[in-house]
Amino acid sequence: MTATAGIIPYDAVNTSSSRKFERMAEYAPEDFHKHLFELEAEGEWIVQRVPEPYVEVMTKYGRKKKIPLELSWHHKSCGQCGHIPGYSTAIFWLNRKLNFKYLDPTDQTSCTAWNYYASATSNAAAQAGVAMRNFAAAYETGYYPIIHCGTSYGHYKETREELLHHAELRHQVRDIMRKLGKAMVMPEEIVHYSEWVHVVRDRIAANQTRDFSQISVAVHPACHYYKLVQEDAIYDPDIYGGQRTATVSALIVALGAQVRDYSTWFDCCGFGFRHILVQRDFTRSFATLRKIQVMKDEADPDVVITHDTGCVTTLDKSQFVGKAHGFNVGVPVMSDAQFAALAMGAHPYRVCQLHWHSTDYRPLLEKMGIDHERAWAEFQDDLKRLKNGEKEYLTWEDVDA
Amino acid sequence: MTSDTVLIIGGGPAGLEAARLIGDLGEKAILVEKREALGGTPIYEHYAALTHGFRSAEEAMNELIAAARANPTVDIRLGSELVECSGTAGDFKVKIANAGNGAGEAVNVGAIIVATGFQHFDPGRETQMYGYYEYDDVITLADAEKMLKEHNFVTPSKGTPPQRVCFIQCVGSRDRQIGNEYCSKVCCGISSKQAIEIRQQVPGAKVFIFYIDMRMYGYWENEIYWPAQEQYHVQYVKGIITEIIRKGDRLLVRGEDTTMGRPMEVPMDVVVLAVGMEPSKGTKDAAKILGLKQNKYNFIDVPHDALDPTATSVPGIFVAGAAAGPKDLDDTMSMAGAAAMKAAALVAKQSRVAA
Amino acid sequence: MGLFADKYPDVPYEEKLRLWEEVKADVRFPSVQYGCYECGICVAACPSARFYDFSPRKIAQAAGREDVELIYEQMNDDVWNCSQCFSCNRCPRQNSPGGLITILREVAVKNGLKSAKQALEGYSRIIYKIMGTGTQVSPDMLQPDAFPDWGPQVREVSADLELWRRALPPETHHTVSTGWQVDDKTVIELYLIWHHTGVMDMIAEVDEGLHMILNDVMEEKLEEAGYET
Repeated sequence: MTATAGIIPYDAVNTSSSRKFERMAEYAPEDFHKHLFELEAEGEWIVQRVPEPYVEVMTKYGRKKKIPLELSWHHKSCGQCGHIPGYSTAIFWLNRKLNFKYLDPTDQTSCTAWNYYASATSNAAAQAGVAMRNFAAAYETGYYPIIHCGTSYGHYKETREELLHHAELRHQVRDIMRKLGKAMVMPEEIVHYSEWVHVVRDRIAANQTRDFSQISVAVHPACHYYKLVQEDAIYDPDIYGGQRTATVSALIVALGAQVRDYSTWFDCCGFGFRHILVQRDFTRSFATLRKIQVMKDEADPDVVITHDTGCVTTLDKSQFVGKAHGFNVGVPVMSDAQFAALAMGAHPYRVCQLHWHSTDYRPLLEKMGIDHERAWAEFQDDLKRLKNGEKEYLTWEDVDA
Repeated sequence: MTSDTVLIIGGGPAGLEAARLIGDLGEKAILVEKREALGGTPIYEHYAALTHGFRSAEEAMNELIAAARANPTVDIRLGSELVECSGTAGDFKVKIANAGNGAGEAVNVGAIIVATGFQHFDPGRETQMYGYYEYDDVITLADAEKMLKEHNFVTPSKGTPPQRVCFIQCVGSRDRQIGNEYCSKVCCGISSKQAIEIRQQVPGAKVFIFYIDMRMYGYWENEIYWPAQEQYHVQYVKGIITEIIRKGDRLLVRGEDTTMGRPMEVPMDVVVLAVGMEPSKGTKDAAKILGLKQNKYNFIDVPHDALDPTATSVPGIFVAGAAAGPKDLDDTMSMAGAAAMKAAALVAKQSRVAA
Repeated sequence: MGLFADKYPDVPYEEKLRLWEEVKADVRFPSVQYGCYECGICVAACPSARFYDFSPRKIAQAAGREDVELIYEQMNDDVWNCSQCFSCNRCPRQNSPGGLITILREVAVKNGLKSAKQALEGYSRIIYKIMGTGTQVSPDMLQPDAFPDWGPQVREVSADLELWRRALPPETHHTVSTGWQVDDKTVIELYLIWHHTGVMDMIAEVDEGLHMILNDVMEEKLEEAGYET
């Protein structure tokens, strides 16, 4: 089954429709901020304000959302840091390169949502407690939380809804926070790092050193980013006519690469939380048959870009079995952060840490004009120095050489 | 000063019928219509056949227009709108201006009938991803009516007759997330009617209707639903579509065939969205200017619905047609008659009392 | 009496009703369960429905009908198939079948239902990792025997794991047994949250062995930090 035969790559980002949607303010649903600030006025919690400078973006029904540029407290992702650490490294690298002050805290726990969705060995109060503890920890530093994982982000949005609407739950969590000696703090906005990447995409493009005009991309939007608390996600009238979330796709456009559509765009990646750990036939079958193969058959992209830990993991790791069974697979997968970092000249191994990824990314690097053999040799030298005790760790200074 | 004139706002079927009846009684009526032509939504949106008897909408509306115009006591003002109102039943002081042009002519009227109708739900707002603003081949009921009226039902992006057409019911209705929680009443009938018309005009086309429920009241059951299935082989599938996305040169619709209990994903050439009713701008403006209570959905609120379907919160002001909520044409004509009767009775009683 | 033959006739109706009442008592229940059109939009979007004999619609329908016997059947057979993606939040009635399933699973775990224990077989080390250390998946979990279908690349990673971790610029990532470095004080706070919200009791119901190990580790750390356990 040859992928390239008969494919007419379809660009959905710039819709060819003759119609233009005009959003009218009178139909906008109620903004949760009204209730959020009311509760603050009643002394129920402190609302941590988005620090300046910030950028305002449009969300699904027209509400403006504030995205801070810097002074960010990075709420890390288990799967990223544990299994694909180039993802989190790239997020930090982008902040450093764009001269934004940030904090990488050790006073941070997992959101625990992966476990929660997988095993249900938790409950609403515990989940809310974990969220509020992390928010309080950020508040104590004066830096504003920015969430790395798509599931953490969606889960925290849901938690915010539950705490807004259920006083008994809120009071139960407040009592627990008191026992921990922590304040009740709810951020003014819950911000996903890909929303930050979205608002700085023009700065990234302005600092772009590699030409991406020949790179074609299939975008996979994370379910937990835009399907949970649907109104709170970025939409843009210039991207998909404002009918699909703009996050990730807008970045690709800004970097000069081509976004190619495919007919299972709205499908989940098949991560499954529990399934990817203990029932993996589902995950790899779904990822292969409903996502990767469709992307290859219909779009034949150079790379798949997504913005969530589970999605990168699922789509990247599932291809090995697919290949063994003769399915049309074999497209590298990475995050928007790693893609943006590569655009800005980042080292594919020292920064993007692509050696942790499964599906072959070398043809993509070649297309980007990157001498990956030399880069690998450089990284091997780094490893040698670490091995023989010359250095203990690879540092940011080493990376910016 | 009391007046024996009835003001009718809106020149669609409800307004025209009310105007004709007031005229037939020999009473005075002023009909104010914002657009430059009469006929309301059936004319403005190029309706093909009426959902009841399959009569040509244009022909039916022309009859109503002619009847309204035939009465010398009916004063029809096109390109005009109501801009102000004060007073009480029997003695309203209103200002009628050229549409969009503030200052108005002061007029005294005894009763008012609001017949300002509805607008279609804009599918760009829905939470399901139907792609109306992404794909030209996703159309609304109104877009379909226009093509059917012109006897040119084609796949818009290609200009050729489609092989596979489907309808998606309840778009923008019965939806808590969008906020239009009500049923728009007519879309099941209209979609089935259009499905029949498509099968008549494009015999090679296979037509599907994806629905939550099929609402076929009274004689719609045997006059529309049964023939659609039995004569015209329209395929009714109970299962609503989740999203539409392009695949190759066709549109892929995703749903569940609930009675078969299986997820399905099928290609279509044309997708028709059965968009529901919402209050029109004219209805919302009228409510504000006349001080009428609106319901949760911003339609004109009718306080005692079952027994007094044309009453509003203000005595002397009546409502007819879809300005009060989703109505079919039968409802609209009945309400127009009832409202005309009540308005005429009000001014007549007043004259008797004065005499 | 439900509409169908009772698949679990040995379990008394009162017990099944009790579990259902527990589901309804959850603070989130009113926002995940309204009426149901039985329209199938949730199934249309559901990835699990394509690969399992699973239907979020049937979960919502059974709940809407309060068919206690069918709900009990689903708690035992179906709810673990859900992939928790929340594509089903498309529902026009604003149901969240995925959200309802979350509550059904929690009730199953809390009550030690066999299906919960079975579904979580082989999962205990993962619960231990997240509850005991504060991060979900750690680098040292990337072993070929744990992820054999991910191919030989996992072997490459696990062979040089400690070295590769030191080759990460972010200072917090120089860890092997956790995803990032978590302060002891932070882990203690996490333990206190588990204790105060009844989560430890839930663990005891599904996996006594795991509960024992977790409890020991947590007690030790809490005592060191000066908390009474």
